[in-house]
Amino acid sequence: MTSTAPPAPAQPRPQRTANTLSTLRRREARAGYLFVLPFMIVFVAMLIVPLGYSGYLSVFREQLIGGTSFVGLENYARALSDATFTGGVARMALFLVMQVPIMLGLALLFALVLDSGRLRLQKFVRLAIFIPYAVPGVISALMWGYLYGPDFGPFAQLGEATGLGSPDFLSADFMLFSIMNIVTWGFIGYNMIIMYSALRSIPTEIYEAARVDGAGEVRIATAIKIPALRPALVLTTIFSVIGTFQLFNEPNILRTIAPNVIGNGYTPNLYAYNLAFVGQEVNYAAAIAFLLGFVIMVVSYIFQLTTSRKEATR
Amino acid sequence: MKPHPFRRTAAPVVASLSALALVACTGGSEDGSDSGNGGGETEAITAEQFEEAMSTPTELTFWSWVPDIQNQVDMFEEAYPEIDVDYVNVGQGAEHYQQMRTAIQAGSGAPDVAQVEYQHLASFRLGGDLLDLTPYLQEDLSAAYPDWVWSQVSADSGLWGIPQDTGPLGSLYRTDLFADAGIEVPTTWDEFAQAAADYREAMPDSYLTNMPGNDPGQFVGLLWQAGARPFAFDGAETVTIDLDSPEVLQVVEYWQGLIADDLVSVDPDFNDQWYQALANGKYASWQVAAWGPVFLQGTAGNTSGLWAASTLPQWEEGQNISGNWGGSTDAVLSSTDNPIAATELARWINVDEEPATAFAEEQFLFPPSLSILESEEFLAEESEFYGGQQVNATFAEISETVPTDDFGWLPFMDFAYSAYNETLGSAIADRGDLVAGLQAWEAELVEYAESQGFTVE
Amino acid sequence: MTATASTSSTPTSRGRRPGAKARPSMLLTVVMLAVVAYFLLPLWWLSVASTKSNADLFSSFGLWFADSFSLLGNLGDVFTFQNGIFLAWARNTVVYAGVSALGAAVLATAAGYAFATLRFKGSTALFAIILGSIMVPLTALAIPTYLLFAKVGLTDTPWAVILPSLVSPFGVYLMRVYADGAVPPSLQEAARVDGAGELRIFVTIVSRLLAPGFVTVLLFALVSTWNNYFLPLIMLNSPEWYPLTVGLAQWQSTSQAGSGSQALFSMVITGSLVSIVPLVIAFLFLQRYWQSGLGTGGVKQ
Repeated sequence: MTSTAPPAPAQPRPQRTANTLSTLRRREARAGYLFVLPFMIVFVAMLIVPLGYSGYLSVFREQLIGGTSFVGLENYARALSDATFTGGVARMALFLVMQVPIMLGLALLFALVLDSGRLRLQKFVRLAIFIPYAVPGVISALMWGYLYGPDFGPFAQLGEATGLGSPDFLSADFMLFSIMNIVTWGFIGYNMIIMYSALRSIPTEIYEAARVDGAGEVRIATAIKIPALRPALVLTTIFSVIGTFQLFNEPNILRTIAPNVIGNGYTPNLYAYNLAFVGQEVNYAAAIAFLLGFVIMVVSYIFQLTTSRKEATR
Repeated sequence: MKPHPFRRTAAPVVASLSALALVACTGGSEDGSDSGNGGGETEAITAEQFEEAMSTPTELTFWSWVPDIQNQVDMFEEAYPEIDVDYVNVGQGAEHYQQMRTAIQAGSGAPDVAQVEYQHLASFRLGGDLLDLTPYLQEDLSAAYPDWVWSQVSADSGLWGIPQDTGPLGSLYRTDLFADAGIEVPTTWDEFAQAAADYREAMPDSYLTNMPGNDPGQFVGLLWQAGARPFAFDGAETVTIDLDSPEVLQVVEYWQGLIADDLVSVDPDFNDQWYQALANGKYASWQVAAWGPVFLQGTAGNTSGLWAASTLPQWEEGQNISGNWGGSTDAVLSSTDNPIAATELARWINVDEEPATAFAEEQFLFPPSLSILESEEFLAEESEFYGGQQVNATFAEISETVPTDDFGWLPFMDFAYSAYNETLGSAIADRGDLVAGLQAWEAELVEYAESQGFTVE
Repeated sequence: MTATASTSSTPTSRGRRPGAKARPSMLLTVVMLAVVAYFLLPLWWLSVASTKSNADLFSSFGLWFADSFSLLGNLGDVFTFQNGIFLAWARNTVVYAGVSALGAAVLATAAGYAFATLRFKGSTALFAIILGSIMVPLTALAIPTYLLFAKVGLTDTPWAVILPSLVSPFGVYLMRVYADGAVPPSLQEAARVDGAGELRIFVTIVSRLLAPGFVTVLLFALVSTWNNYFLPLIMLNSPEWYPLTVGLAQWQSTSQAGSGSQALFSMVITGSLVSIVPLVIAFLFLQRYWQSGLGTGGVKQ
């Protein structure tokens, strides 16, 4: 991978050059391993080993009565026909197709606006949008939980004062949107910064050339900026996919104020957690977590495939 | 969940260390079905062993979420200077049990003594994780508690926890709102339904009471009152799940009527909205356990003097029956290295006069032991919040009306309660079909029990 | 994959924004200020709410101050409740986040640099595995990690939170992309020809070039550990080891369950405010680093 072979400096005696080169190569390879080693040790200990252990757990079943037995892929089969799990995945898929485009679309829009240089208070705006990223998910869920409150939340108070009424944000019909809002609030700024940084690194000369050709700002945005953002968009989308399917903190906190709306399996991650810690089904939980990882992988892969195909046909 | 309130004690069961009568305590449980739990019969300890254990430097870990229980721990350490107790609050209710389970599963980090509510004793006993306290006690405690309390902690010839507080169910209501709406305090559930309708008509913005969809503890307490015995566990492999009995259906259909007609509210309880609603008079009454009165005092302080306590409405005229909601024990885990000291910690803080009195007087746990329940001082206390009523006396009387026949539990109540929230509970919250919700709950429980290898009856 | 072409310096373009073209637009500014209002609203609410007593919290309008001003009293409660355990949580959070972020950034920088500029067998495969691991759901790891840690007695210690946080696959990815643009191969070659060892090259020459990327990875790791809730929730039993997130969530659930008639809502709110202030300030001062490191991460793949 990476850099091609450096051009060998002109040397009078080619034999020694070859020797030196191969020594250098060997040394370089050894250094490569040494630099990667510390990370790999921690990576293997904290990620690969637990993952392997989890995979091992997932092919057993431990019953409260009768102990542990090897069941092969039974837990996986059970998960696929488990309406709570598939329902949770479907809910996250809905979340994905609704929330992610809105969040990324707005992030892109804000990034373009910031980059256009036509905004007063630019720095302030950028920071204000980014700040929620600094708020821990737990705390933002607590805050929004109070704001959503049906009797004493400010929205409800405003709704009552104006006589317009307000929707019950914590009801079954609204809950998913309410969570979408919390996630969007927290992560727009993060995505915006990634895109904005990418925009800032487009060489200015390109714009100038376009302007000389008579292109307007909108045309520049669609023809130059957005294509240049493609890698940033792919990156943020994949992170959003991963983040969505792993949703846990927000529903777990909102559960205390809407216990009948957010059930054990509201999100797949919540389900795995509850299976392990409430239902004492660690083995099944491991299988669920594995399947969830698989779903994330497939979705990310499909997404990458379609975007790169588009690229190819262009 | 929700431990709570009250006061005063006399010396319960003088700890007669010398009198190692030991009674070989079978613990006062009738059914001697030999369980697989707790291993074989352990010899009762001798006074010498006890003295030695209590004078050897020992460290104990104690998990509980009772507020300020550190005070009792300090008293214990003063009484037994060699024993060092590390008290930890790892969370409340579900969180606490999750921590216990993970620690037990991991094989390290579990406490020696832990708070365990009555309904969860069976689930910890199932894995052999609780110690049978009988051999480690120097006295028979069975006579110190009401029969129904004792039957909750003893099973299969063993004693699995020392009662800390209980929650016999009564009613708290707003005298002023009742007067405004022109209704009498209902004594039967039929009257209650009528009162709910009348109240609603008189006060269109509020309700006679609230039936939360997230509180299986309260609901099961109401089933208990109605004579239903939905759960049982034989201590081995057989569980009973009986949620379609006439008694259960009677309760469910009754509330179905009130909920469908919008005569009661269905807000989740114990969250900020609900606290506020209690303080604002959105609910004119609360069917609550004996820990409720003091709890209410703290949350709805602005309504002092406006409340009164009474018994639950009854299913038959002239009856007087209650059920239980909540309350805890202190149990000893079988993994402890110091069973004698651990048992003494669990016993001493709940039985010795000084700490037990403090539980009742300062932490407001409703006392389980007869000595406090019968003490003049405790009964005579008048509460300003309740317009000078002797609330302790009211609930002490109610405690006597909890049926003495054994009310059983499943060895997986945390699952059962969490499944409740998604079935019957969500039917309540959605004002939907409660009977269908009940059936769904039963079906989930049966499925889970079978998948876990139990025989279901 | 990438390389060769982008020999020198990162493709940033300072000093652009041709001022002549971009006239500030009033309309755009107004629209964006409305957007800003949405982002600041919850924080405004949090700030206002932390000046209210428990009773006012529910009896006054949420987005404006109540008659009484109880901020100081609330702060006092936050810092003295349960013998000032909040301070211990704050200290834990700082330690966990600081140690984890620093460790994660160092490990990721070394690895990312090696993947980007050094040739060794299996590097492509290793890197692919590391990238793939980003998709592993945290529950798949948390439970087995807990069980494994318990076997070696690490649960309920700071290590149980710090060790798993040292792994930042995203950091490695970011550093690889960054190093690829920031470290010119010619520079390495020149140093090698001069006889410098790889370690020395890294420490004396490369590390300076990688500094902005390093800070970005550090910030990411810092935020993710600071905000972590799930891992410490599972790993820790003793409140004295909790970070702020777990501690505040426990206060919240305590007030929900109404233990001992303590209503802690105003304390939870004030504590939340106190706990986000340091991060917000850090953001104010470090924001340029987000951009510099991320720019390259987003541009190239």
